[in-house]
This record gives sequence, structure tokens and C-alpha cells, in this order.
Amino acid sequence: MGLGKKIYAWIDERVQLEGLVEFMGKKYVPVHRHSLWYYFGGVSLFLFLIQVVTGILLLLYYKSGEELAFESIQFIMSKVQFGWLIRSIHSWAANLFILSAMIHMFSVFFEKAYRKPREVTWITGMLMFFMALGFGFSGYLLPWNELAFFATKVGTDIAGVVPYIGKPLMTFLRSGSDVTGATLARFFGIHVAVMPGIFTVLLSLHLILVQAQGMSEPMHLENTPEKEKKKMPFFPNFLLRDLLLWLIVLNVLAILAVFFPWELGHKADPFASAPAGIKPEWYFLFMFQTLKYIPAQVFFLDGEVLGILLFGLGGLLWLLVPFWDRKSSRGEQNQAINYVGLFVILYIIVLTIVGWVA
Amino acid sequence: MNQSHRYFFAIVALLMIGTTRLFAQDQCYVCHSAIGDTPSTLFQHDVHFKKEISCAGCHGGNSQMEDQEKAMDKKAGFIGVPKGDLISERCASCHADAAKMKKHGSSLPTNQWEGLKASVHAKLAVSGKEHIVQCSTCHQAHGVVSPKDPSSPVNPLNVVTTCAKCHGNAAFMRSYNPALPVDQLEKYRTSVHGIRNAKGDRKAAECASCHGSHEIRGVHDTKSKVYTTNLPGTCSSCHSNAEYMKEYKIPTDQYERFTKSVHGVALLQKHDLGAPACNSCHGNHGAAPPGLSSVSKVCGTCHALNADLFSSSPHKKAFDERKLPECETCHSNHEIVAASDKLLGVSAEAKCSQCHSTTQNPKGFESAKHMRMLIDSLEISEQHARSLIEEAEQKGMEVGEAKFKLRDVRQARLESRTMVHAFNLPRFTEVVNKGLAATSSVAEEGQQALDEYIYRRVGLGISTLIITVVAVSLYLFIRRYERNQR
Repeated sequence: MGLGKKIYAWIDERVQLEGLVEFMGKKYVPVHRHSLWYYFGGVSLFLFLIQVVTGILLLLYYKSGEELAFESIQFIMSKVQFGWLIRSIHSWAANLFILSAMIHMFSVFFEKAYRKPREVTWITGMLMFFMALGFGFSGYLLPWNELAFFATKVGTDIAGVVPYIGKPLMTFLRSGSDVTGATLARFFGIHVAVMPGIFTVLLSLHLILVQAQGMSEPMHLENTPEKEKKKMPFFPNFLLRDLLLWLIVLNVLAILAVFFPWELGHKADPFASAPAGIKPEWYFLFMFQTLKYIPAQVFFLDGEVLGILLFGLGGLLWLLVPFWDRKSSRGEQNQAINYVGLFVILYIIVLTIVGWVA
Repeated sequence: MNQSHRYFFAIVALLMIGTTRLFAQDQCYVCHSAIGDTPSTLFQHDVHFKKEISCAGCHGGNSQMEDQEKAMDKKAGFIGVPKGDLISERCASCHADAAKMKKHGSSLPTNQWEGLKASVHAKLAVSGKEHIVQCSTCHQAHGVVSPKDPSSPVNPLNVVTTCAKCHGNAAFMRSYNPALPVDQLEKYRTSVHGIRNAKGDRKAAECASCHGSHEIRGVHDTKSKVYTTNLPGTCSSCHSNAEYMKEYKIPTDQYERFTKSVHGVALLQKHDLGAPACNSCHGNHGAAPPGLSSVSKVCGTCHALNADLFSSSPHKKAFDERKLPECETCHSNHEIVAASDKLLGVSAEAKCSQCHSTTQNPKGFESAKHMRMLIDSLEISEQHARSLIEEAEQKGMEVGEAKFKLRDVRQARLESRTMVHAFNLPRFTEVVNKGLAATSSVAEEGQQALDEYIYRRVGLGISTLIITVVAVSLYLFIRRYERNQR
């Protein structure tokens, strides 16, 4: 008996791995022309894990505080062995994670994979996506550089416009009336403790549901006889392919981190004026650009308030799509959903490009 | 009595007849001159009296009426002795009215009242009821004469004492501005302007020449003629006027040269209020060129360290003996350009070589040569360190700390430039060595960052290769595994 098999037998004897292997062995993944999209869930998971590992490593040296944050990142990047690599990978992986999660979300949307019985899986996924944006927003401030400072100021200002809850929300986020060292401490706490905790719960639930319910197959395959359906075992076939893609992503990440190291910029100066042409991160750009286009006053509503309400409403509808798209749940084709999804994608892409170029 | 005497008396008689005829109708003057009171006595010499302006012009009432009650009836506009701001307003009723002034044949400007209202003197007096200064404060009330008249209190030869009546009165000035000195007249008397003024030179600058006459603004008022950035222009209004300065036989290009100087550029172009204006070196009320041996003291009010080093250097004695103006010998006076390392050494453009050569003062020659070599090597090593840091930064390396250290290098260069003024080779070498050590540390960090850059690229290449090999192996494994599955 080889060493690997000996170790397996040792573990199996204690935790009954056989049951798990058997379960996974019986689990199949549908194979069809859209199978590629299944991998983005795994890629998102992989990038999240990288975030967790690099985040923990950064925590070993990062110091929160108005007078320490920037300097500690500077120290990480110049003095700590491979600190530059860890920080750069953390920043790049954060962006790729949001991109990958976005692709995963749209693929699920277009495949109508949210339909019964996967409503809860969709909800947990969407909540994680919103949290990913929150991770990005809170993490962006942590280096306490000029761009981060003003982006946070603008971002929290926008949050403050929400009717009724805006002002208290803004004060809560900023830990005061303005963006200060207290805001940094609050964002740090939210970024490294509050959100990871909630995210882990949601992720566990999401993964358990995916495993329990299996991969959703496209609607057009539902009526195909079981024998004619192409499928592959989840373990090890799909998992090995996942692993292959992860290695490619890791390579891309390493190249990005080395060739395009994440800049630190200048330390934030609360008394300086905001740099010209300040923009949020790319994933908020379409919303930021939209707010620019809405007139200051629309009927009796403030333009900015209207914009935020519309985005809020849009987000809520998106979140609740399994509940109002009854047709898909009944197994009927719903082209309207495809048009809505297409419109949203085009809107995000166009406005992001316009915002980037502007 | 000769013929000329006869003509003189005839003119006087004619004038008296004319005046008597005129003021025979001005009952105010008739009565008051009969009493012989001071106002009417003074008024005889007043420029207004000569322009046939009646007492009623300022006091109101009806000067044609013989009856005192009717003449001084308030219904007829009689106001008696004007008080407070009413004094200036009465003056302004004519002096701010171009038509009236023309009618009286005057070509005087009519903006005095506006000027006075905009001036620092127009602030409320301690009584809170009137301006601090009225027209009569400087021009008197009844004996007003042209400023050209030697008896005028605002004549160029008298104006300094007129101003000093208030400005030299410590008790009075304390009520308004306790921080304002009250020794301006005393200082002025020691100045070149004051000495000439005392000798009767009307062209020499007096208070009004620099501060203005009616629109006198506080020195911190940006519109003031003596506000730091306006002062060189004010001085140059006389000192750059070749025709005006002709008789004084001094150059008139100071302002032009000053504007090109490091001080002039800082003050006039960059509006750096800390930069010196004319008065910083020459004094203001006691304005005079600094003496040869006190130049370093004057420059030292700002360049303190340089001045101290120079004063304790062997050059101090040598310069004094040769009557060389201290700082000025190397740095010039009005057209002081930014000092560069080129001033040091023994090249043709260096200042040291003006007195030192291989035959004349050879020890200084060798020191100057050595010092230049040291400061050049410091500059070269700084450039080298800077270029390494810039290259590393351009390549995306984090060199924030090394960049911060570059400040130490710059500081060392500044220190070495200051230390030149000690003209002491060992002390100079010590400072330069400190700078060289700092540059070497920065250069080392820059080089390390560049090495790290290459290391990262190589590391990336290796790791990418390993990951690719693993990925390809995995791909092949999947293919083989799935083939076996079938």
C-alpha cells in the first residue's frame, strides 16, 4: 500500500471519508454548450480564498490609524519580504473576485438557475456579491492614501443622500460627521471582522446548497431523456478542471501583480483639496456616472436621491428575481428576463467605459 | 523814493483798494477784522481769501448782511464753527466739486476727499464721533496756503514736522496703535532724505512722497504705497527717474536690477512677503546705504548663519582692510542672483579667483579649488542617487522612504553651501562628507530597489513556468484519466 493510500485509510477509519467520496462520486455536472459558466463559481471561490490568505498575511504588518496606516503599507511594500507581492495580489485578486462574481451572477441569471428550488442559493449569492462590493469599498480606504480618502468621502456622501436613513447611515459609516481616523478604524473592523464573519456563513450556506441541489441544468435540457443527457462526475473530473482553471487564474494574478504593482499614491491629507477627476473603483463607476447625468431636480425629487432610489429599487428587483419570474420557475421560457439582463449588462459596460474615459 | 519803490507801493495800494472793495461787502470779515481776532488775522493770508471766498463759504450765513443776527441766522445756513467731520465736509463741498474749483480758477485735483475717506486716517477717532484726521489737521483752518508756500505745514520742508505732531506723540499714538513706533522723524533726520530735506532740498523724499498725501493707507494694506510688494515701485518712482535724480549723481538702475534679482523675483513675481524689499536693507524712515563693513550684518538679518560664519572667518579682516563690501563683493547688491556652486572655485566665473591665484594668496586658491571639487562631487553623487531612485520608482518599486532620505541629501548640500562662508576647509569637508554619506545610503537603497525589480521579474518567470508546467501536467492527467474512464 502506497503512502497516499495509507494516509487516506488512516483518515477514512476515523472520519468515514468513504461516504463523502461516494456522495461526490454520484454527483454529476451537466455537460452542454454553456458548461463553461459553471467554472466561474469556483474561480470566485478561489479568488476569495486568496483574499483570505493574503488578507491574513497583510494583517500581520498592517496598522490601522491615521498616522500609521499609510506608513505600515509603505513598510509592507518596501521592507517586508514579499510584502509587495502579497499586497499587490490582494488588490488585484479583490478586483478579479468582483469581476468573476459578476460573471458568475450574470451566467446564473441568463441560465435562469435561480428558479425553483434554487431561490435561496441565488439570494445567498447575491448577498455575497453585495458584500464583495462592500469589501472593495471598505478595503479601498485602508491604505489611507489621497485617492482612497476622497473616494470614501464621496461614497459616504452618496450614502448620506438616501432618504430617512441616509444621514444616520453616513454617520455610522464615518464614525462621525466626517471621514477621519475613526472612519479608518471602523472600516478596518468591518473589513477584517464583521464582513468576513457574515460572508463565511453565507458562503457555507451557498456551497452546501450547491452540493445538495447539484448544478442547475439549462431549461432546454429539462425535457431531454436522462440517457441522452451528457454529464461528467463532479469528483474528480469537474474538480480537476476547476483546479486547472485556478492555476491559470493564479498565473494571471502573478503576472498582474508583478507587471502592474498596485500603487500606494500619496498619503491622505484631509486639509488638501480633492485631486482633479477623482473616480470610484470601476465596479461603482456606472452608478457614479449615472448620478452625474441625472438633473439636479426631477419633478419634486432631488436628482441624486432619485438616482439612489432607482439603483436601490433595481438592486432589490434583481435580488428578488426568483420570486417575480414565475414563468421560469414553471419551466417556461421567459425572453423578457434575457432582455432585462442584456440591458443591464450593456448599461453597466457603456456607463463604465464612459465614466472611465470622462 | 526811486521809481521801483514807487511801482511797489502803487501795486500794494491797488491790491489793498481791491481787497477792501471786495471785503467791504463781506460783513463777516468787516466785523471780525475790526475786532482783530485770530481767525480773521490768519485769514488775510489764506489762499481762499485771495480767491475772494467769503467766511460764509465755510461757516454759512449771509455775509452781505450788516445786522449780526441776520448774518448769523441759522435759517440763512449759518453753522458757526464746524466741528468733527463737518470740517472736512465743508472743504469737500468745493474741493470735491470740479465745477466749483474751475469756477475759482483752480486746477487742483478733486479727489482728496475720496482719498482721505479711504485712508487709515478716516478710521473713527477714540471719541467715536468723527474721523481721526480732518483737512484742517494738516492744512490749518484759517491760514490755509498753497503747499508750495514755505509757510504751509504741508510744504515738503514742513510736512515731516506736521506729521510728527501726532506720529511723534507717544501718548496720542498709543490710543490708536500702540505698536507703531513714534521715532520716525528722529530716524528720518538721520537718513539721506532727511539730511537733504533739512538742508532745504524740496526734492528729497518726505512722508508724503512714500505714504501719499490724502489716501494714506496702513502699511499692511495691500493698496498702500509702502506695502511690501508695492514699496520697490514707490522708491523707484524717484530713484529710477534719471532726470529727477540727475543732480544726486547716483545710479538709477537699482529697481531694474532688483526686479531681476532672486529677492525681486520672490517678492514681485512670487509675491513672497518674506522676501526683502528696499527697506529691508536700507531702512525705511532712516533710509541710507549700508556701510561697507556692516553689509554682512544687514544681509545677516535674514541670512544669519552665513553672516555669522563670514564674520568669524579670515575674510572679514581681509575685506575690511581692502574696503571691500562684504556679501556684495561676491553676490552683488541689487541684482543678487541665486547663488550657485559656480561662485566657488578657481574657474574664470568663480568669485574666489578674483583675489586668489597660484601666485597671489595661493593657500586660498588651493582651498577654493578643493572646496569646489568637494561640492561638485556632492552634487554628482546626489544626481546619481536621485536618478537611481527615479528609475526604481518608474519601474513601480516602492521607494518612498529613500525619497524621503533625499531630503537629507538636499539639506547637506544647503549646509555645505552655507559652510562655504566660514572659508574653513576642514569644517567644509566635514559637512560635505555628511552629505556624501547620505547620498551613498540613498543610492544603495535605489540600487537595491532596482536589483529587487530584476529579482521579481526572474521570480515571476520561474513561478509562472512552474505553474504552467503543473497546469499542463494537470491537463494531460485529466485527458488520460477521462480516456481511462471511457
